[in-house]
Amino acid sequence: MTKAIASSNRASFVVVVLVSLGAGLLIWQLAVSFTHIPSYILPSPKSVWAALADGLTRSPTERASFWFHLIDTLRATVFGFLIGATLGIFFAACMAEYWLVEVAALPYVVGLQSLPKVAIAPLLVIWLGYGSGSKVAMAAVLTLFPVLINAMAGFRSTPRDRLELMSALNASRLQVFRYIRFPGALPMIFAGLNIGIVYAMLGTIVSEFTGAQRGMGVIMTQMQSVSDTAGVFAALVVLGCTGYVLISIMRLAQRWAVFWSESTRREIDQ
Amino acid sequence: MSSLQNAATPRVCAEPEVKVPVLSVRAIDKRFKTKSGDEIHALNKISVDLADGEFVSVLGPSGCGKTTLLKILAGIVPPSGGTLLYRGTAISGPQAGMGVVFQSSVLLPWWTVLDNVLLPIRVLKLDLTSYRQKARELLRLVGLEGFENSYPGELSGGMQQRAAIVRGLIHDPGILLMDEPFGALDAMTRERMNVELQRIWLSTRKTVFFITHSVSEAVFLSDRVLVMSARPGSLVENVRVSFPRPRNADLMSTAEFGDLTRHLRHVLGGSGAVHD
Ligand SMILES: Nc1ncnc2c1ncn2[C@@H]1O[C@H](COP(=O)(O)OP(=O)(O)OP(=O)(O)O)[C@@H](O)[C@H]1O
Ligand SMILES: [Mg+2]
Repeated sequence: MTKAIASSNRASFVVVVLVSLGAGLLIWQLAVSFTHIPSYILPSPKSVWAALADGLTRSPTERASFWFHLIDTLRATVFGFLIGATLGIFFAACMAEYWLVEVAALPYVVGLQSLPKVAIAPLLVIWLGYGSGSKVAMAAVLTLFPVLINAMAGFRSTPRDRLELMSALNASRLQVFRYIRFPGALPMIFAGLNIGIVYAMLGTIVSEFTGAQRGMGVIMTQMQSVSDTAGVFAALVVLGCTGYVLISIMRLAQRWAVFWSESTRREIDQ
Repeated sequence: MSSLQNAATPRVCAEPEVKVPVLSVRAIDKRFKTKSGDEIHALNKISVDLADGEFVSVLGPSGCGKTTLLKILAGIVPPSGGTLLYRGTAISGPQAGMGVVFQSSVLLPWWTVLDNVLLPIRVLKLDLTSYRQKARELLRLVGLEGFENSYPGELSGGMQQRAAIVRGLIHDPGILLMDEPFGALDAMTRERMNVELQRIWLSTRKTVFFITHSVSEAVFLSDRVLVMSARPGSLVENVRVSFPRPRNADLMSTAEFGDLTRHLRHVLGGSGAVHD
């Protein structure tokens, strides 16, 4: 019975989402047809669709193809995310385990945290050039902090009774970390990773705006300079879908790694 | 020939009295600092000796410091004063060869019951494959057959506690410290577990330190029953229980058993608690 309720909920969920999307598109089309908003301010859904189709059907080797740029953006996002997440978890572990490391790192963490980190994009371009390096670095920097902060909180919140259990067995520090602290922190780490993947893409795009040879940010700047608003809209749709795919992959990974956590179960159920 | 054997027996029996206790605490004191800055005096000058192979139970009102005493014996909570001796030597931390069953089961939700039970084997770096079979046998013994691959979140409170007992036993520790291990069980299961525990104890002769709230359970299982006073906890009674073993449920309806439990309840009543 619960299953039946859940599936009927799911069906109505899909219907409401589709109707809402259709209504939005309709209002958009009506606004364009009945007002005199120029198309370089608000292009019609049809012209955006055309730009999207054009950008996606071209051969990935062409510079006008979305694929040509998306591949680069995606690669930088994923590499930057992996580097930032690994470093974030590693630093968090060192800081949670060793008081000295934590105190020594504190001024840098606090300082960088209060800095709008995308503002270092020009600096990264100076250091690493117009290639992938600066993009990956920006994505990694933006991923690092939410992962670090959340992982730290996770390592810290290890329940005392679990530590006492390990202590009674005379477990080594490494064993406590491996069997207790790390798995116990996974729900928090994933909370950080979910933010991190979004930030990684943000960092990549901003870096591409600042200066790069390839990437969705690059093609968008080019479209902007020739007032191809429909093209910019189409690029945004592509980015939105890509982001959705990345977040969904993260959710799957979370479901696989933290299947035992109450909060994961709640998140997945809804 | 037989008279010779008889003559030898008393000497063998007398031997444990001379032996150094496996674990002993001398004048242990424990004070906790609370977050509000107050001080809680939990234990007051407690001295206990656990002889090799002895089964000792502890009774006492809630909050009197039983768990604290157990954690001090396990070496995971440092005392504020006094000394802890392991086979006659002063120690200040956990020793290999102890098994602890905590008041709450403390199972790790990311592992199956079987993996949870094998935690001590992993930590002590013993051979996993050979202990896996033993784990299955012990799980069957406590009625958890078929739940080896379940996750703790899928078990009832009493089942979780039974899994925790298996985890305490798996590495065959010489000393077993148990904190109300049967607290979450129904009366029937509890009686069955008492019989099983006695059977395990008879065949392995571990030294057991056993906290319980049940007077009859304490008397049924123990060689010696200690009673603690309300906080600050101190020892107010120490009685030897010498019913022959193996003991069975009939023992509980004998007059001697009744006298002993009545006496212990009386002491407990005087220590400021109402008991079953
Ligand atoms: N970590 C701690 N910090 C502060 N106070 C503590 C701490 N652990 C225990 N206490 C206090 O010490 C006293 C004894 O606690 P303990 O857990 O040993 O009692 P207990 O006899 O096991 O009780 P119960 O039968 O309810 O389990 C309690 O008043 C408790 O509040
Ligand atoms: Mg207790």
